[in-house]
Amino acid sequence: MKSKLIIAIAAMGVAVLFSSCAKVPQAEVDAATAAIQEVKDAGADLYVPEAYNALVDSMKAANEKIEVAKAKWFPNYTKAKATLAWVSQNAVDTKAKSEARKVELKAEVEAMIVEVKALIEENKALIAKAPKGKEGREALEAIKSDVAVAETTVTEVEALLANGDLIGSNDKIKAAKEKATAIKAELEEAIAKKGGKK
Amino acid sequence: MVVGKKKKIKWIIIVSLLVVFIAITTSIVIVSQKDLPTEDLRLAREAISLAKEAEANLYAEKLYKESLQMYDSAMVNWSRENNRFILFRDYSRVINFAKKSKKKADDSKEESIKKADNLSKNVEAAFVSLAKKIELYNKLFKDLPLSKSIFDAHNKSRMFLSESKIAHETGKLKEAEVLFKKADIYINHANTAASRMLRDYFNDYSKWKNLANDAIAASRGGNKVILVDKVAHKLYVYQAGKAIRSFEAEFGPNWMAHKERNGDKATPEGNYRITKKKERGNTIYHKALLLDYPNEEDRRQFAIKKKKGVLSRSAGIGSLIEIHGNGGKGFNWTSGCVGLRDRDIDDLYRLVSSGTRVTIVGSIEPLSVVTKGLDF
Repeated sequence: MKSKLIIAIAAMGVAVLFSSCAKVPQAEVDAATAAIQEVKDAGADLYVPEAYNALVDSMKAANEKIEVAKAKWFPNYTKAKATLAWVSQNAVDTKAKSEARKVELKAEVEAMIVEVKALIEENKALIAKAPKGKEGREALEAIKSDVAVAETTVTEVEALLANGDLIGSNDKIKAAKEKATAIKAELEEAIAKKGGKK
Repeated sequence: MVVGKKKKIKWIIIVSLLVVFIAITTSIVIVSQKDLPTEDLRLAREAISLAKEAEANLYAEKLYKESLQMYDSAMVNWSRENNRFILFRDYSRVINFAKKSKKKADDSKEESIKKADNLSKNVEAAFVSLAKKIELYNKLFKDLPLSKSIFDAHNKSRMFLSESKIAHETGKLKEAEVLFKKADIYINHANTAASRMLRDYFNDYSKWKNLANDAIAASRGGNKVILVDKVAHKLYVYQAGKAIRSFEAEFGPNWMAHKERNGDKATPEGNYRITKKKERGNTIYHKALLLDYPNEEDRRQFAIKKKKGVLSRSAGIGSLIEIHGNGGKGFNWTSGCVGLRDRDIDDLYRLVSSGTRVTIVGSIEPLSVVTKGLDF
């Protein structure tokens, strides 16, 4: 009878000890936090903001689940661990998506730079063909200035691209393309007008 | 005696265990009765997420940051309370922070939507205003012999406007606003400088008006008189006080100035006469009517300016100002001559003779008529 009582007390002690030993899954928390930081460093907040925000939100939810567990007599971190695992796993996917978007965007900007440079060269060639008399160079100064502005923008875009500002360079090169296309149309119209008058 | 002692110990143990059991059960009941902040934190987190979606971090930055701070405070307090003995935990501060966080997040979302909406409307209105300024430039100033800095400013303005529109289309309203402001600075610079140039040029309007009236009056006797309006880019042939013909005319790139010296690419203003008619073969410009530039007044002004040092010692007064063909190019391309289309110089050539008066003025019409009442 005595030994049974001792076993019961010991079992209770072990149970209490076991329950108080259920620790916060700090390793998982640290891993998920590091994963989110890595994803942010990869520019996911800029290139795939929705996926990035979902990660941050899930991380907050995981922290809440940890506190919910901690508030109990017998903490159980299974749900928090599952959420943290989801964060870590999805961080990998999000980082991959971000990298892919960056590669895609960079290719788009580079292609547009080539396109705009070609347009600028075409415009320069058209300026040479544009109607001009003995003082034609001065008369075409305004258009040349327009071309120069587009050219400067391309240089700025290249600098932005070199600094890794893909979004800024993408917006700027689009504007440069619009400008170069408009100049081309203007020159072609002037040349056509000249041709028609001959 | 021993049996009785054992029984006593047994009872003590049983009672102790019972007390512990009752204490634990009571604690569990008390703890489970406690208001956990789980739901409040979840609501705060969701509100923050929605605020972020509404770009509150951009348009209601202060409120959004405060909501994040409140949320973090709630979490820190929750963790602190959880580290206390279970019976002494108090989540009221946590709940309070969570509720404040939610409120701030909701407010930031609302403010962000409003501000973004207002900003979008402002930027759209600014696009309209800027487009008007660009249109004004194109209507009034584009064809003026502007300095490089003016058309550079105009071109930069258009480039910034394009960038601003792209930013607006992609929802980057703050960026669109910054770019628009840059565009506005450049177009204002271009338009102000160009309008000053135009107003300054029209300071001579009364002189031009007198010259034009004299020329028209001189035609009343039946003689043909050529009247050239530089701003209108028109050459009129007057007879008996009426314009009997008019032709489109082109000038030098620096046409909005009175010719002062050779190479200034300006077209002279004043009264001149045709001194020679050049048939095909005698000119590379199809046909030409040579004028008597420089006249006496031009020489007098040239001498004064040279004396004052306005013109350099080596400057020459220039010569060979003609009305000639090869025109119709659509821009001002001559060295200061008046360029007409070949078919027009053919007509004019037949109409006039050596000695015909040629009056060249900046404008026959006043500035208000030239600018069609546009506000600039």
